[in-house]
Amino acid sequence: VALATKQRQWYFGLSVNERTVVHQWPSFFSFGSPSTFWAFLWKYSFIIPSVFARPPKNLRNLTAMASTEPPAAVTPPSSKPNLLPLASPTIITPSAAASVAVAPTASSSSPATPSVATPRPIPSDAEVVHIPSYSCWFSLGDISECEIRCLPEFFDSRSPSRNPKAYKYIRDSIVKQFRRNPSSKITFTEVRKTLVADVISIRKVFDFLDAWGLINYSPAALNKPLKWEDKDSKSSQHAADSPAGPSLDSTPPVRETSKRLCGSCKSVCSIACFASDKVNLASSFHCNGIHTIKGNPSAAFCAIASLEHCSTNLVLIVLNQYDITLCARCFVRGNYRVGLSSSDFKRVEISDEMKTDWTEKETLQLLEAVMHYGDDWKKVAQHVGGRSDKDCITHFIKLPMGEQFASSAEFGSSINKLNQMKDDNNISSSSSPSKRLCLSPLADASNPIMAQAAFLSALAGTGVAEAAAQAAVTAVSEMGQGEPKADIRSLHGVQGLQDASITSNGSGILKSVEEAHSGVNPKPEEKEKVNVEEEIRRVAEVQMKQIQEKIIHFEEVDSQIEKEWKQMEQMRDILFYDQLNLLKHERAIRKSGQQAAEGVRTQGDYVS
Amino acid sequence: MKPLPSTSSKTPVKFRMPTSENLVPIRLDIEVDGQRFKDAFTWNLSDPDSEISVFAKRTQKDLKLPLAFATQIAQSIQTQLTEFRSYQGQEMLTGEKIVPIKLDLRVNHTLIKDQFLWDFNNFDSDPEEFAKTFCNDLGIEDPEVGPAVAFAIREQLYEIAIQSVATARESRNAKKGRRGEYSSISSRSTGAALDLMKLFSNRYSVVRKRKEWDVYEPMVDILSNEEVNALESMEERKPR
Repeated sequence: VALATKQRQWYFGLSVNERTVVHQWPSFFSFGSPSTFWAFLWKYSFIIPSVFARPPKNLRNLTAMASTEPPAAVTPPSSKPNLLPLASPTIITPSAAASVAVAPTASSSSPATPSVATPRPIPSDAEVVHIPSYSCWFSLGDISECEIRCLPEFFDSRSPSRNPKAYKYIRDSIVKQFRRNPSSKITFTEVRKTLVADVISIRKVFDFLDAWGLINYSPAALNKPLKWEDKDSKSSQHAADSPAGPSLDSTPPVRETSKRLCGSCKSVCSIACFASDKVNLASSFHCNGIHTIKGNPSAAFCAIASLEHCSTNLVLIVLNQYDITLCARCFVRGNYRVGLSSSDFKRVEISDEMKTDWTEKETLQLLEAVMHYGDDWKKVAQHVGGRSDKDCITHFIKLPMGEQFASSAEFGSSINKLNQMKDDNNISSSSSPSKRLCLSPLADASNPIMAQAAFLSALAGTGVAEAAAQAAVTAVSEMGQGEPKADIRSLHGVQGLQDASITSNGSGILKSVEEAHSGVNPKPEEKEKVNVEEEIRRVAEVQMKQIQEKIIHFEEVDSQIEKEWKQMEQMRDILFYDQLNLLKHERAIRKSGQQAAEGVRTQGDYVS
Repeated sequence: MKPLPSTSSKTPVKFRMPTSENLVPIRLDIEVDGQRFKDAFTWNLSDPDSEISVFAKRTQKDLKLPLAFATQIAQSIQTQLTEFRSYQGQEMLTGEKIVPIKLDLRVNHTLIKDQFLWDFNNFDSDPEEFAKTFCNDLGIEDPEVGPAVAFAIREQLYEIAIQSVATARESRNAKKGRRGEYSSISSRSTGAALDLMKLFSNRYSVVRKRKEWDVYEPMVDILSNEEVNALESMEERKPR
């Protein structure tokens, strides 16, 4: 289509030889571990650009920069001092593969939605650099307020070598150096060896850029929701340690380690702790954003200020997933963030935690097994080793949302397995989100009928599919409680389901399962029943949250597509008009040609 | 042409680096378990000492050195800073002081030889700016050369500053003691700046003498790998 292939330049007050397109990676895309993200990406790399790789609408602060020329002429960046056994400090993350995969598809399928004043396509050979959405204020051309706030010592003319010009030099050099090779992390030492400035200034700027994800940011490294939290905790710990001499390595308590550290009082949880897996929905981002930042009010202020610059489009997409752990004391004291309430926390027994803490390796094995064996949880459990099949299922469900996109085909069947573990019903259904954009997960579904159903519902459109699903649900629930799977299937199989139906279905599932279990299981199995109920409840909750998010997201996509459609129509009109003009001209010329011919002929006649 | 005023305007000044920013050149040469770590950079004195351990830890981690290095690095930096600070209370003589700065360094594959004059009295001077312009003008591609040049300049200025502190002390003692020796000492203290008089002795032109052109011209050489290896082995053999 003419729209997509037309090349337009996007200048933004920058020198012409800078042309990298900066994409925003929505920060809700937080995976539990690099391996999970990689697994997901491996399968569905083509989905990502169309769904997520969307430059923001507000182009005020954002610049388009691309370094198309590879650094061929530059001498090798051996940035080590004279070390006898040489060590190479570069880290190549698996996101290298991901970013390569994203780049070509991004260029071809990105929705270039230009406003008339500032068109914004992506040149097909540009390198794509990802920065988090909370750093969209950054531009290589000038200094933004956020930087002035976060690094005041460069702007208060207290010392002559710390001035805006020096700051800009350091910052631009660091960013350019990183962007020459965005797939590998750049270390502070590499940078400070190449900059003509005092090392502490360089360190401050480096830490600032690192915290804001402007360097060393790769989607695979999204272990922490917000980096400046750790920066603060790290620096405060260092400050505390330094009087005692060289400090020991202080690791910030971000991810689950073998010891649960309380998020607020930073002590080791002893007996029980309370964990919250709350996912913040988009609309409340502004309010919650300020509370996600600990300790450093200026950083919080920066975040809010920067958000105001972001387009509304971006704010909607950005989500945050909190994995907050509080020790019992803090929970009781109410020592948690304002955005959360006591109901968001679940009690987690430490003894259980110890036993069932999933390591990265195990998670990776789980994913591999799921991809290979699909529904067969016994085989999956075997592959993982050391975990029962029930454990596998529960952990799998708990994995962050990205997994849902990847393997929701297997997911639905896993829920069913869970429900009907006692019954030996061979349920072949598998639910899956049939987004218009990704039909392929369904293609992998073990159930060809389901695949067809999803395909048809996608073709038929939202309204039709919704109506059909609701009819199916009512029919099925009339039939009896032996078929809770239908509820789940319909939940997934349709876009834009309403909340009422979801909750009703959800409770329907619970009720039906309870009844099923009470009917089937004899008394001694009561403990199992309680466990299963609990798990099902959790499952349903997670499901509902996910669906809500999907709804929001697809509304986005809808509005986008509408706009593009309008533009297409405009283009079509213009084309039609052009064609008309052309025809008119043609006709006019032909006429005049004919007249000229006539004139000649008559003259000839006359002469002869 | 009146001869330039002699260096009698020797008002002692508080010790500091004669540059716009009081940056201290720090040189590291640490050996632990057979691993040698050499480095050179500039440190801003106004930064708190807590930064030292942070920086040492960072460097050790980034370069994947064994843990023992972190403490050694921090110690080394601390000693050099304290030494600098110990000079700070004292006075140094400046006067008319144009000193020759010599660059003779090898950074990775780039060899640089240069000599130029620097006004020691100009407390607004900026070696960093000089180094950046130097690299730009000579088209040096290796980004590590810039900091090395700035460091070399600073180091030499530092040494000259230390010398002037020593001579200031001497002259003070001399003043208290024997008055007669004053003039000879004063001339000694400006030994580094004697060039000035010689340079300007040629009253007909301010252009340098031809034979000195090579000396004052910057020379940048790109070495091949073998040459680098040869030089490195020579350098290692020298101090040992």
